Amino acid sequence: MILRIMAACAFLLIVVLALFTSASHATRADFVYVNPSGIHTLDPARMSWTQDFRVALNIWEGLTTSHPETSAPMEGAAYFPPAVSEDGLTVTFSIREDAKWSNGDRVTAYDFIRGWRRAMEPGTAADYLFFFTDFIDGAHEYVRWRSENIKALAALRRLAEGVGLEPDAAKALVRHPAFEEITIPLTSRLEVPNERADEGWAAFGKTLATLPMDWSSLADRCLTQHARDMDLHFSDVGVQAVDEATLHVRLTKPCPFFFDLTAFPTLLPCHKSVERLRRRHLGLPLTAEGLVVYDPQWTKPDYTKEGYPGLITNGAYRVVDWRFKRRLRLAVNPFHRDADSIACRTVDMVVYENVSASIMAYEAGDVDFLPAMDVPYDHELARLARTGERPDFHLCQTLATFFLNFNCESETVGDRVNPFTDARVRRAFTLATDRTTLVDKVLGRGDRIARSFVPPDAIGGYEPPSGLAYDPDEARRLLAQAGYTSGSFPVVEILYVPSDAVLCQALARMWERELGVRVELRAMESKTFAEAKARQQFMVARGNWYADYYDPTTFLDCLIGDNGNNDSRYRSARYDELMAQASSAKDPIRRASLLQAAERVIVEEDCPILPILHYAQPIAIQPWVKGLYPNAQLRFPFQYVTVKR
Amino acid sequence: MGERRDSAIASGHRRPLWRRHGNRSVLLSAVLFALIVGASVVSLPVASRWYNVQDLGTGVRRPPSWSPSVSAEPFFRAASSDEAASPSLWDRAAFRLVSLMGHDDLGRSLFYRLLPGLLISLAVGLAAAMMAVVVGVSWGAVAGLIGGRTDALMMRVVDVLYGLPYILMVILLKIGLTRPLTSLLGDRTRYAEVVILFVAIGSVSWMTMARVVRGQVLSLRTRAFVDAARVAGAGTWHILRRHILPNLIGPVTVYGLLVVPQAILQESFLSFLGIGIPQPIPSLGRLAADGVEAVNAFVGFWWLLLFPCLALVVVLLALNVVGDWLRDVVDPKGAAM
Amino acid sequence: MIRTVTRRLLLGLITVACVYALTFIMVVTIPGNPLRQSGRNLSPEAEQALRVRYNMDNNWLYFRQFITGAIRGDFGPSFSYAEWTCGQIIASALPVSVLLGFLAILLAVAIGVPLGVLGAASRGGPLDLAATTIVLLGISVPTFVTGSALLVVVGVYLKLAPIGGWGDLAHLPLPALTLSLPFMAYIARLTRAGMLDVLGSDFLRTALAKGVTRRTAIWTHALRVAFLPVLSYLGPATAQAMTGSFVVEKVFGVPGMGQHFVNAALNLDAGLILSCVLVYAAILVAFNLIVDVLYAWLDPRITGAV
Repeated sequence: MILRIMAACAFLLIVVLALFTSASHATRADFVYVNPSGIHTLDPARMSWTQDFRVALNIWEGLTTSHPETSAPMEGAAYFPPAVSEDGLTVTFSIREDAKWSNGDRVTAYDFIRGWRRAMEPGTAADYLFFFTDFIDGAHEYVRWRSENIKALAALRRLAEGVGLEPDAAKALVRHPAFEEITIPLTSRLEVPNERADEGWAAFGKTLATLPMDWSSLADRCLTQHARDMDLHFSDVGVQAVDEATLHVRLTKPCPFFFDLTAFPTLLPCHKSVERLRRRHLGLPLTAEGLVVYDPQWTKPDYTKEGYPGLITNGAYRVVDWRFKRRLRLAVNPFHRDADSIACRTVDMVVYENVSASIMAYEAGDVDFLPAMDVPYDHELARLARTGERPDFHLCQTLATFFLNFNCESETVGDRVNPFTDARVRRAFTLATDRTTLVDKVLGRGDRIARSFVPPDAIGGYEPPSGLAYDPDEARRLLAQAGYTSGSFPVVEILYVPSDAVLCQALARMWERELGVRVELRAMESKTFAEAKARQQFMVARGNWYADYYDPTTFLDCLIGDNGNNDSRYRSARYDELMAQASSAKDPIRRASLLQAAERVIVEEDCPILPILHYAQPIAIQPWVKGLYPNAQLRFPFQYVTVKR
Repeated sequence: MGERRDSAIASGHRRPLWRRHGNRSVLLSAVLFALIVGASVVSLPVASRWYNVQDLGTGVRRPPSWSPSVSAEPFFRAASSDEAASPSLWDRAAFRLVSLMGHDDLGRSLFYRLLPGLLISLAVGLAAAMMAVVVGVSWGAVAGLIGGRTDALMMRVVDVLYGLPYILMVILLKIGLTRPLTSLLGDRTRYAEVVILFVAIGSVSWMTMARVVRGQVLSLRTRAFVDAARVAGAGTWHILRRHILPNLIGPVTVYGLLVVPQAILQESFLSFLGIGIPQPIPSLGRLAADGVEAVNAFVGFWWLLLFPCLALVVVLLALNVVGDWLRDVVDPKGAAM
Repeated sequence: MIRTVTRRLLLGLITVACVYALTFIMVVTIPGNPLRQSGRNLSPEAEQALRVRYNMDNNWLYFRQFITGAIRGDFGPSFSYAEWTCGQIIASALPVSVLLGFLAILLAVAIGVPLGVLGAASRGGPLDLAATTIVLLGISVPTFVTGSALLVVVGVYLKLAPIGGWGDLAHLPLPALTLSLPFMAYIARLTRAGMLDVLGSDFLRTALAKGVTRRTAIWTHALRVAFLPVLSYLGPATAQAMTGSFVVEKVFGVPGMGQHFVNAALNLDAGLILSCVLVYAAILVAFNLIVDVLYAWLDPRITGAV
């Protein structure tokens, strides 16, 4: 009896396995590399992770591209260098005739406008929205106008559902012109609270829901009107297509690194077929709340709804297959101008969640390139790279800094006193940090010690200040000066994510020893950590920053008063003033010295952050692979790679 | 599951393994366990000061050696707040063993992290078991006593809770309880984390206990002596206290004891995920997980892997062996657990 | 029979619904913002737009949207992976986990049951000792230790198996073996205990007296009874094995469901958490039902065989 059951099970098993194995065979690609965590998104406007950039910049081509060795901007889909006006505020790009999409269509200026407009839309939630709002004329106003309308429309939709409004949504609705339509028939009954005050808005929001209005049709009418106004408002933004091959861009201020931005994924073009996947409401190219949303599946190569031909890109490669968390396969774009000279016809990106296993696979020769080797024994890998024992291991000195944020604003954190609102305390802790021991002895990964925010010897024409050296006596003196005698200093809390455990523990002991303070450590998973950091619930928190372009402002802008990434909430009129002067300075030398003065304020005087190291990323390139160069931005174009196994 | 299992005929002449060879292995496990735990307890005064002493100079990742390979000064300085006093004999003797198991990434002595780590893991296990016992016994006893629809409802709830995936629940509980518990325990955030951990683990371990207790209570309820007591006029509470609870002690102890190694294992999984006991407090699970992650083909840090894994296995093995033996003694039929 | 099955099915559906409601409550009460990334901060307009789009600002609307979607088979978008819906994620991961879990359970039963039987039969002899040792090691050693050990020894030193990954027959044995060990140990222990019970019983002595060989008595008659507790354990065990073990998947790089349970919880990805929970509960209920049916079928007192 039992034997019969077992026989049945075995039969089932064989059938299943047969099905399974027949579905999964694939030939090996010409070039295989590993991405430990898989791709977060392939939408270039939404990307913010380096591994996603790596793929995007291989399958798309912007107006400019980055040189594989020097990372300097060079020719892309447009001729380089483009024409720049006298005042540096107008740039005219000429798109090449031989720039083609992977279906043979020519790349036009309209494709770029489509891509840029999509990235500016609030519905896309682009991390790098500030590329447009900070630098392109009229973009900031357009985005703000859109956001206001979206908020109001969303509020109307909520009311149509019978749900009361939050104070924010109620305020947005009142500001919108549509509100007059409501008040006219109901003037006697509606009392709008004071704009400035906060109380009363919650109740007002609820009252609105009870009004006998046809919210739904009001929302539809507003939506239709808004859709009509959208193109008009967008024509004020400083991007224009003069004709198919010419793109005019108007900048708000001189931007010496603009050609780095045009090589960045956020400014990539978008093929017109994507418009077929735009979500529509009542035939309008907007969702019910007024958002511009595309079906997120547009980045799939095999998505065919609504007659969509699958993902079309204009770079050296195109995507042919994408298996979630397993493999992404690229093949050469046959219409690319260099298609015939590309050696690796297919490229595979494989996912290995266990990084040690990916290293073992590399050692076995199954994988050609490892762009990341984040393992607990990376000090050993770095050593092998440095001494040359393993010539296939390299250390990329990146344009990135790991630092600690001090909370410069909150008086208390939880129910504990936060001593770091005093710049002297921050300076003392900076002086008490022996970075050499931390970076060389504890981590030993070959990272560079950081005493400034901007990495030295990295950006041409800019040398960061030297920062504060290790000086525990001065640190103790400063603490005393700040009014803390030994033993009276409040407990210090360091907030970190599990990957920084070793460094933070060493740092905690260092501070305890040098300054005689008590330090506690709190580890959190990354989402809860980000939440706590955003709510200012920390005294000291780890942070890092990767440069987006080759200019000191990519780092220094973070600490400007109201910048969204100013986690320390550092507010200094002097710093903001220096940065503002630098941004309007025309002379590059004067600009560099202003930026340097600004950086001196943060790394030598006010110390809102404590720079610790500049990352050195260990990578592994098999000896039979040529054409991959260690570079600071960790971008690796595969079209120059040759593999001779 | 206990109610499912029906043996066809009552066990008659069964001789569990332990009665023949077994007593020896049980004895061996118990002795080993007592030795390790004893060593941990004895070293606790020293280890509680030395578990976090770093040596970032020569001590980083030193292999084991019989004599100390790190400088004594930071250890003896940590020993007393009075810097001038010379270290006691006890401290000096303890220092001789500091490099016995090598040193980790921060130059800390693995020996003096392993021993307290063991106690911490055991404490987590015991705390989770206690919580499981308290909640499980109450739930099961109430369900068994009241019976009828309430019983069915309560057991349905247990079924529903069984339907929640364990790991997901632990993580969500841990994330969710962090804020309220930290604000409750205020200053001692570190301890709050540990409390959250065993509350989360305990919350997913009590269901089996509830089922077992309910089964026991149900069967006890129909026994003759309970009827007799009822005839004599005793109230429900009295019956519960005098007749039922004493009979529960056996199975509850045994199953409670068996929760301990499960909880320790769960804690090691959570440490492997990076969300177990917070740094720098050591625990067997975290030390073992760190050792496993350090395995690589380039350079061997075998001591970081061997000693914690060995200790973990010995502790779990001992607990399971003793727990099994106890269960065979107390409740031979309930082997389905 | 039909009535019992229908009743159990109904109960199962109610269980699944309760599980969903409970998880939903947990997910919405936990503080934390799944839209925030730890590197850069979203602009307020972007965050607001995303919240409206995903119905995150109103719990009731989200609940309703999820349920109506789930009934149609659409589990909604995942917050952590922009281009993949929860349905697609589960569709890609579940078959892998099911296959691996199935193999693991098969191995566990195929090795564990004979181990338990032999151990009970030799009662105190060397085989019993060996069996018990294996059992105890199986439940005392964490899977990340056994998995890593197997990977390094078999994959790196002996070069007998590929180092993690998925897609070939060769990728199957190591993770399946690692996953099966704890279940194997438990099944062996259950079988052994059950066998020991049965071996001293009257009906077995009667069968022997009737002339049945010792071998048949043990393997056919006794095992049939002793297998029952194993069967009831198999219900939840199969569900657990099939929804993947995070540890085994992480160590061997298997793209299964386990990592999604963990990552969804860590990322507070509401849609994915709810989808995973629904899948797990559904599988659990399904297997408990199958086990109940098999149990009724196998129990000799019901079928009346001996």
